[in-house]
Amino acid sequence: MTDFDWNLLLSMDWPEIGAATLDTLTMLGVSLLATVALGLPLGVLLYVTAPGQLRARPRLYAVLSFLVNVLRSLPFVILLIVLIPLTLLLVGTSIGVAGAIVPLVVGAVPFFGRLVENVLREVDRGVIEASQAMGARLPQIVLKVLLPEALPGLIGAATVTAVALVGYTAMSGVIGGGGLGDLAVRYGYQRFQTEVMVVTVALLLVLVQLLQSAGDRLVRRCRFD
Amino acid sequence: MIQVRDLTKHYSHHGRRVAALELVSLRIDAGSIFGIIGRSGAGKSTLIRCLNLLERPDSGEVRIGDDALTAYSERQLQQRRQRIGMVFQHFNLLRSRTVAANVRFPLELAGELDAAQMDARVDELLALVGLQDHQHKRPAQLSGGQKQRVGIARALANHPDVLLCDEATSALDPETTDSILALLADINRQLRLTIVLITHDMRVIRQLCDEVAVLDHGRVVEQGRVIDVLLQPQHAVTQSLLAETGFGQGALQGQWRERISTPVLKLTFVGEPALQPVLDKVGRETGLRVNLLAGTLSEIKATPFGQLLAGVVASDVAVSALPDIFAREGVRCEVL
Repeated sequence: MTDFDWNLLLSMDWPEIGAATLDTLTMLGVSLLATVALGLPLGVLLYVTAPGQLRARPRLYAVLSFLVNVLRSLPFVILLIVLIPLTLLLVGTSIGVAGAIVPLVVGAVPFFGRLVENVLREVDRGVIEASQAMGARLPQIVLKVLLPEALPGLIGAATVTAVALVGYTAMSGVIGGGGLGDLAVRYGYQRFQTEVMVVTVALLLVLVQLLQSAGDRLVRRCRFD
Repeated sequence: MIQVRDLTKHYSHHGRRVAALELVSLRIDAGSIFGIIGRSGAGKSTLIRCLNLLERPDSGEVRIGDDALTAYSERQLQQRRQRIGMVFQHFNLLRSRTVAANVRFPLELAGELDAAQMDARVDELLALVGLQDHQHKRPAQLSGGQKQRVGIARALANHPDVLLCDEATSALDPETTDSILALLADINRQLRLTIVLITHDMRVIRQLCDEVAVLDHGRVVEQGRVIDVLLQPQHAVTQSLLAETGFGQGALQGQWRERISTPVLKLTFVGEPALQPVLDKVGRETGLRVNLLAGTLSEIKATPFGQLLAGVVASDVAVSALPDIFAREGVRCEVL
């Protein structure tokens, strides 16, 4: 790398990169919160309505499960475009940070919901049976047994989802979503400024690393042994 | 009192209907310890889960005291279950909670006490099972016996009138099993609590229970006081369960039975006679001389008993007269 021109780094528009990073963090934070807020109930619903489970509703489960699969099988880029009318309806714009959040959430909720369902299935049936034997009602089982017992797994699922969302935020740059992905597309791709591309990729990488290690640390702290 | 009438439950297994319970009827006295024994697959587990309706029977009735549980709605059942304790083979503690918080859990579910009252009740229960020093630990840091003590404390939290034990000692080593059985006996005495347990281990029945029902292929094949069933088992399943624990007459079913040509007496001593030299006394009076073939000396729920198999070598009286003579000494004698 002897021919690397360090002046390029100095000549780059750092304030813009900083703003883009902040945009990415905003999109990530807001969409992650919304994803957990919507995906957790979805995952619980999938879990309790599955055949043989606490409130087995096989037909409802089949419908939900099908919808989740449909949304998960759509490539995110396509989802971005398909959702433009909905995004306009909900937030009034389909571009920028605000415009990206709707497709991000719609893309991530089914993903996170399915992860939550799987994590809940790992909760010991015996513990659930014991709480039923003690007279627990379904909301009590969900709030006092399922979610606390599954907490490490749920944090793990949220971490995986956050990392996936970082990728999605970058992709949303393609349709003018804002943030680091947008920067990479506009400078790195359209104006052939490879160094901007390299810096954005490096920043995304650091972000993913930070998210993963923070998630791992949280999981370790709340393990039960 | 718990009354179970004509309980029937079927499962469909690969499209076939399999009977888990077939017209099971039981009467369990309040304050007694009732054991249900059977091999795996006999339906024990289904039966005990039908007592608190964790599993709904296809037909039949379960009454605890005056409460006809089988007629209850799900909501009523949830309410009633708070006063039916249950203890599990694999403890089923919440891993996310400390020992104290596990015991507190059913109190939170019931929602009848304020925080201070719950804490006081938790302390009381932990003292009862001897775990005061471990209250801040998590289940993962406890031994099997300690986990089961937490399970028992938790089951007793809401002052139940019935305690159901689902193979409560099957995952424990023999020494720990003894201490848990002693704890259950203690609780039964102190709290006048009815205990219903299922097990595949005859030792549990012998050490703890007042009455026993033997379950085989979903049916009750034998039922009665433990001392009667253990000493005079009628059904082949009971006999084989007893033989496995080296108890009773199992030895005589061996090949060598054919090599003994003399009459064989089976002598059963229960209670006081087990502590007296009855055989010696009868021998002096009747000239009876015996060849001891097999014997057990043990106790059933603190009642001493003995059982001897003796070949008659010589006797001044007719062998057929011996049962009456032994009966006068309080010993049951059968000529085999």
